[in-house]
Amino acid sequence: MAMEAQGGRMPFFYSPEGRLLQVDYALQAVNRGSTTIGLKTKDFAVLSSHVKPTRNLLEPAEKVFVVDEHVGATGSGYIGDVNSLVDEIRVQAQRHRLVYDIPIDVGSLARHLGQYLHNFTLYTVRPFGASLILAGIDPLGVQLLQIDPSGTTFRGNGFAIGAGSDEALEVLTKGYREDLRLQDAIALNTKAIESLNGGGTAIEHGVITRDTKKFVHQNNGKAPKPPASRTN
Amino acid sequence: MTTTIGITCSDGVVLAADKRASKGFFVGSKAVNKLFMLDEATAVAIAGQMSDAEYLVNLAKAERRLISLRRGYPLNVHESARLISNIVYNGMKSYNPFYVELVVAGVDAEGPHVYTADMSGAITSEPFMASGSGSPLAYGVMEQGFRQGLNLDAGKRLAEQAVRAAMERDPGSGNGVDVLAVANDAWREVA
Repeated sequence: MAMEAQGGRMPFFYSPEGRLLQVDYALQAVNRGSTTIGLKTKDFAVLSSHVKPTRNLLEPAEKVFVVDEHVGATGSGYIGDVNSLVDEIRVQAQRHRLVYDIPIDVGSLARHLGQYLHNFTLYTVRPFGASLILAGIDPLGVQLLQIDPSGTTFRGNGFAIGAGSDEALEVLTKGYREDLRLQDAIALNTKAIESLNGGGTAIEHGVITRDTKKFVHQNNGKAPKPPASRTN
Repeated sequence: MTTTIGITCSDGVVLAADKRASKGFFVGSKAVNKLFMLDEATAVAIAGQMSDAEYLVNLAKAERRLISLRRGYPLNVHESARLISNIVYNGMKSYNPFYVELVVAGVDAEGPHVYTADMSGAITSEPFMASGSGSPLAYGVMEQGFRQGLNLDAGKRLAEQAVRAAMERDPGSGNGVDVLAVANDAWREVA
């Protein structure tokens, strides 16, 4: 029986060591994902993600997302899980606009995502195999947060998740300065990702600055063009 | 109550509305804005219950933002009108109707468009349209003054003229005119 296979416990109970195995496995799924970085200063935040796999005839998957005008997200882990988490916070951002008539603050968005993820650690369901990094601007300034499958949220100036995240974080920690300029920050993120995956890898960047207060894709600047002509 | 109109022009689209909010036979407000932008290329003019109309506009804005984030390009004017009419239709069928009549106007890849959506969820599109209690009067002026290929400046003049004519004889409309123009190239900013 399944009970015996789990050592007499249901899979979402604690192990004798006090760990939630399903959550540990979800974190491992994140660590198998592509290298993904978030970096911020008081003037801007940059999200960068290694896009894989790339080959001819294949359009690279979108890895950096606009959540609302003033918030962006990127993630590592199962892409399907990342996509559905991004959609959850996009809807929450619009709900907040409907109720309060103002854009949501990044902390509330992260808290909502944390509560959403935490719910999946309590019952016989699979926790999301994805971590997200949010970057945005609100009345408290430039914000950068990481949210894990357990629902844990971290605030900070630099995060790295996915494969080789420890090494990437080391590069970030060495290269980080509070007065970093935007172009240097993008270069630092690129260096951190390329140090693991070699040069010439496809990296997608998203940027928000305190001047524009808008999160935009750095590579092509805008969302994909609509089809030339559409019929209703 | 209210008079709102939309006119398609050669180089864009014009919306106009009066500024009166009626509370029965009483003028509740003399400075109401009845024109709203959904984005840089699409706008709506509202008539009917103010609370319903404003809620509907906010809901449409939120839904449109989500759709364009998900699919990567914004809704054209027909899609926007249909989105609003579907919300209104659902309201009517669940015995919670939106007491509104809207003019949805904007520009997209195919050019300028004007639609009206009523509280039953029906949408219709014509080169120029009016809604609200003053609409029969406004239609009279526009039927006389509209011609195909009107430019935006002439369209603005005709729009203001039509609303002012309605304000003369419709007690539900008055206290000034708002005019809003969206040029054809506004679509390039959002697409």
